[in-house]
Amino acid sequence: MTKSTGKGQSTRLVLSLLSGALLIVIVGLPVLAILLYAVFPNFNTLSFAEPFSKLAPSLADHKLIGATINSIELSLGVTLLSALIAVPLGYFRARGAVPAGKAWDALFLIPFLIPPYIGSLAWMQVLQRNGFLEQILGFDLGDLLYSFPGMVTVMALHLFPLVYFAASRAFSLIGSRYGDVAKVFGGRPLSIFARIELPLAIPAILSSALIVFILTIEEFGTPEILGRRFGFEVIVTAIHDKFTNWPIDLSGASVLCLILIALAFIAYHLHLRMASRFDTSVETGTMSPTASHRPLIQRAAILAAFFAVTLIGVILPVASIAISGFMTTISGGLAWDNFSLVNYAQIFSLGSDALVAVGTSLSLAVAAAILTGVIALIVAFAVVRLRGRGTAFLDFMSILPNALPGMAVAVGLILTWNLPIWPVSPYNTTAILLLAYLCLMLPYPIRMVSAQLRQLPTSLDDAAYISGANEWVVILRVLAPILLPVSLAAGFIVFAVSTRELVSSLMLAPPGVETVATYVFRQFDQGDINVAMAMSMLVVVVSGSIIALGQKLQKDQKT
Amino acid sequence: MKKFIAALVAGMAISASAQAADTLVVYSAGPKPLSAALAKGFEAKTGTKVELFQSTAGKIMARYQSEKANPHVDVMVSAAWGHAITLDAKGELMAYTSPNAAKVPASLKTDTYVAQGAAALAIAYNTKSGLPAPKKWSDLTKAAYKDQVTMPDPSSSGSALSLLQGLVNKDEAATWDMFAKLNKNGMIVPGANKAALTPVLQGAKGVVFGAVDYIVLGSKAKGESIEVVYPEDGTVLAPRPMFIPKTAKNVDAAKAFIDYVLSEEGQAMVVKVLLMPARSDIKAKRPSYDELNIIEFDQVEAAKNAAATKKKFADMMAAKG
Repeated sequence: MTKSTGKGQSTRLVLSLLSGALLIVIVGLPVLAILLYAVFPNFNTLSFAEPFSKLAPSLADHKLIGATINSIELSLGVTLLSALIAVPLGYFRARGAVPAGKAWDALFLIPFLIPPYIGSLAWMQVLQRNGFLEQILGFDLGDLLYSFPGMVTVMALHLFPLVYFAASRAFSLIGSRYGDVAKVFGGRPLSIFARIELPLAIPAILSSALIVFILTIEEFGTPEILGRRFGFEVIVTAIHDKFTNWPIDLSGASVLCLILIALAFIAYHLHLRMASRFDTSVETGTMSPTASHRPLIQRAAILAAFFAVTLIGVILPVASIAISGFMTTISGGLAWDNFSLVNYAQIFSLGSDALVAVGTSLSLAVAAAILTGVIALIVAFAVVRLRGRGTAFLDFMSILPNALPGMAVAVGLILTWNLPIWPVSPYNTTAILLLAYLCLMLPYPIRMVSAQLRQLPTSLDDAAYISGANEWVVILRVLAPILLPVSLAAGFIVFAVSTRELVSSLMLAPPGVETVATYVFRQFDQGDINVAMAMSMLVVVVSGSIIALGQKLQKDQKT
Repeated sequence: MKKFIAALVAGMAISASAQAADTLVVYSAGPKPLSAALAKGFEAKTGTKVELFQSTAGKIMARYQSEKANPHVDVMVSAAWGHAITLDAKGELMAYTSPNAAKVPASLKTDTYVAQGAAALAIAYNTKSGLPAPKKWSDLTKAAYKDQVTMPDPSSSGSALSLLQGLVNKDEAATWDMFAKLNKNGMIVPGANKAALTPVLQGAKGVVFGAVDYIVLGSKAKGESIEVVYPEDGTVLAPRPMFIPKTAKNVDAAKAFIDYVLSEEGQAMVVKVLLMPARSDIKAKRPSYDELNIIEFDQVEAAKNAAATKKKFADMMAAKG
């Protein structure tokens, strides 16, 4: 494994430096700007006066303790529920226990295409008093929706796919050979799963659970829409209040971001400690999953579980959005004379901003998906294989943007790139949006790719090194092909999330540029909720088709 | 893909050089049809190119604050009068009185900021809800409206704060007593203006206490079953301030823009989105100054107590009804 020729050393150095530089420019600078702003309240004018003067007053609010506890409870609840839903599904998907696997993968990506605030609104529309459920079946579940369990369920249904994809990749990488061996020696299915397969997959699952935890802590839309209704305040709503409520206190908001960074730091270390208890690498390369022989009843039950999750997590919210998109007026409700195409007519009307916005968002999302994939490969290699000094720091830094609210990242990006010192700056051009998406989305591919890389044995690399390959060749010719499926899965997630990224787009879009999310938000702002719903539906369909096409191409390539 | 990156790089290069003296940078709160029409009209009239950044009032202020190391904006239009009050108190605004502001009522202009137009605060109720039409603010404390009332949060909605301040200013004891009763009557405070209005349009709730009227009037014009009531005991205005920060680079164009918005042509665009025009000599397409019973109060003075007012309100609403 160790290679000590001078040339190898320099390639390694270049790789380490490159991954460090990429992360620092994309992620480090905006986060650093926020930290500086928390310490120096006048940092936005480049003044370092009155350091630390904002810390105490901003943290003195007695409500913050309750909000911090709420944040932790919510995130733990969502993470656990996501794992409960996703790990069994991922396992059965990897073991080929359910027909049409790729179709389920595509379906489970759909929740990602829906902006969280639209998703919450869709749920309200279904469950609240006089909602769709009551209009059709005569009862409402508003009390359940506006409660802690209700909110945890809504958020978990939105985020569980992250764990699902990680788990199914991990289980399929492990292959069924270990299980088969155990079976030969008389192991029962449940104990094989619990004692052999699950422990091997745990690092990858934990890694995705960490992202779910951090995304929940950072999520603003759902706590704002659902949580406020039952007085459930979390840290991010407190931060957002400081960012947008008059009088605006950007520095104070930056101080509160420190709490989120601290929580992310703790979660990150807990996850490392838990993951280190499990052996990660499996001694075989990729193995094709073989369909196991299960009794019919068991197969039917598994299929039913997939259907149930799809029905509640995908079809119900999407149907709610689709129906709203066809409603002429909101107050008209579900009545035949209230259905029409006026909302779509407005979107497709000549000279409409909507289609331009769709084009802008799609190109940005494709660019973000490809670039994050490439960067993640380099960073994962540096962090997992080179293990040089500072790689742990790089690894932690890569999750920070997800721990910060989008608004904070946006402010950090402005503080950084609006400085007069840059000869050329992406600020006030569309490139700043791409940079923002890279910053916000990088954590997904980095986590997913490095988790899988940890599972891969180093024997493949060693074989390549012995045959005279250098690190670039190992990355490009050995690891990249093996990691391509997981990179693509991550790429689809990045693509999906980018198409609907709202907060930073609203802050950073250069004059005159609209993305899907800013368009949708503006319709809301003007009270045209159903046009916003129609636009969301259009994006679900367009991006969903692109993802489905991508997955089909991937499948064709394999066979 | 390559093309796209090339376009991005080209875009960067262009914009780096394009922030020339002949461009006016405007940051404006919604509604977009209004800000876009004003920008277009101004371009046509003066030949000055307008770069319009349009977002929510909170976000344009956050952008302005974040950009202070290297400011870009020449003129701002916010939806919250309080934004202008704060910036003015910090001495960040340039003094300018437009010649076209002569007909703007005194309460809607100062030396450094002037209204683009104004909304009024009102009660909005869903006409399909079967609720009786309310006449006064305090009607909503009655049993008929139990669990039917929503109100925008004065912490996140500048207009709801103005309403609260106006009512407190008029009769402090009666106002707080009314809010205690509203809380008992199951009123919810779900967030900013849209969060309060949406459940009423959807029929989950019946009435908004303190809706921004022009948005509701717009919804009604589109066929929604919603009606606006201006309480007979008076209401407050939510004027939308325009101002030029002292860091503006293109000051002449910024002043010309304010002149344009206050011209008959500009005010006609304000009228079109069902706002009240800033100028009292322009006819509105909706109830305006002469038809509304407006509670006048010193907003600058009230702003000094805003934090305490908001806290008292929040504490009151947090009490179990």
